[in-house]
Amino acid sequence: MYLVADINVEICAAKSCKLCTQYCPEANTIQYSEELGKDKGFKYGSAYVAVDRCKGCAQCVWVCDNMAKNYAIKMIMIDQLPKAALTENITYGEKSTTAVLASPVVG
Amino acid sequence: MSLDYVKFSNGFEKFMPKEYRDMVEHGPFGKKVTVSQMGNFKEVLEEHPMCAGCAMTLFIRLAMIAFPNPEDTITVGTAGCGRLAISQAAIPFVYGNYGDQNGVASGLSRGLRLRFGDKPKDVVVMAGDGGTADIGFQQVLHSWFRKERFTTIMLDNEVYGNTGGQESGMTNRGAVLKMAPLGKKFEKMDMLQMAKVAGCAYVATVVPNNPRRVESVIKKAVLIAREVGSTYIQAYTSCNIEYAIPTDKVMEDAKAVENDRYQFTEYVSEEAKQYLTERYGYKEFLAKPAAPAAAIPGKA
Ligand SMILES: Cc1ncc(C[n+]2csc(CCOP(=O)(O)OP(=O)(O)O)c2C)c(N)n1
Ligand code: SF4
Ligand code: SF4
Ligand code: SF4
Repeated sequence: MYLVADINVEICAAKSCKLCTQYCPEANTIQYSEELGKDKGFKYGSAYVAVDRCKGCAQCVWVCDNMAKNYAIKMIMIDQLPKAALTENITYGEKSTTAVLASPVVG
Repeated sequence: MSLDYVKFSNGFEKFMPKEYRDMVEHGPFGKKVTVSQMGNFKEVLEEHPMCAGCAMTLFIRLAMIAFPNPEDTITVGTAGCGRLAISQAAIPFVYGNYGDQNGVASGLSRGLRLRFGDKPKDVVVMAGDGGTADIGFQQVLHSWFRKERFTTIMLDNEVYGNTGGQESGMTNRGAVLKMAPLGKKFEKMDMLQMAKVAGCAYVATVVPNNPRRVESVIKKAVLIAREVGSTYIQAYTSCNIEYAIPTDKVMEDAKAVENDRYQFTEYVSEEAKQYLTERYGYKEFLAKPAAPAAAIPGKA
């Protein structure tokens, strides 16, 4: 098993600064959804990770901790994530994306 | 090479992979995208085998977002780590022998002008420090002296990363690497000065820990190269493998190196300033209004 980044929606949505995606070396890996966190009253949505593209470098953790000072991202073993975003379940809209979360580990 | 080349042929849409459909429908082609929209549109760069956490990867990702017209751009590369990602994008990529990238780009840029006339087709070279300052040095300098109209970007990781850690002309004096165990004996080459002497119209240094600056520098360089002349960007893109930088400290290193030897510098020729101002509406080069003269006490 290996580590991937996991973003806590409630912590992120309180700030939703969009810094981490600008620093993730991998394209289309940290995405945004305006819907995430809305059910809990947050206005601006949250970042989330397409874990099938994540290489586990933890640069986003450094950015969220040191630049955003929001401590929303943790590295987690992929099989410890019950559900996560995967590229095949991400839909692009006009201004934002949405993801249906699914088990990231098959079998 | 135009917007049409990415579109689906009739009846084929349902056979295309999801990533491709997303790119056609929600990618940057034919639109203006910026780094602040990242995470909300499909990028042209796909998965690739560069190392986890590599700053060069981040720089390439940002560069592809910054291209003013990605649907009318061709990238040129050479041996080295960067081509592993540059080749995995929905932007045509030309790959020659090690070091001949600026020769290839010269011919390509001239050929495109013959074929397409004034309609801009942007040629952007991205190559390592070894490819640019050592093996390709002669072709790089000659393309600049000839004022070839394309952009050269050096992905400066201060080492030959792809082949396991030999020193390059851009390695710092004293640096000890796997295949330079006694430490480098010579200074880092001053390619910025050489670019100016050779007549480049735009010369800038950047570090990827400032995505908006990377975006702005690349846009200017590509636009100026359309008509004015050669442009050169030197980007610090650390090799976390050969310099043993923990991947979660790559941006910390970038910041430290930026403060030390990679401060932001930008040279824009007078002709290029005028061109950006008149053609593309840039305001930053307009003469600043003179400060009002201080009132002299006792005078009406
Ligand atoms: C003519 C030739 N000589 C040697 C090589 C082997 N080679 C491949 S990549 C490379 C070094 C690349 O270093 P650099 O240009 O600094 O790029 P980096 O990998 O560091 O990004 C070398 C020597 C080659 N491909 N062709
Ligand atoms: S850096 Fe942190 S707070 Fe900002 S968008 Fe990313 S996860 Fe959310
Ligand atoms: S761990 Fe690295 S690859 Fe994964 S999301 Fe964070 S920055 Fe991107
Ligand atoms: S060897 Fe170095 S420069 Fe090459 S991909 Fe790995 S970290 Fe990046």
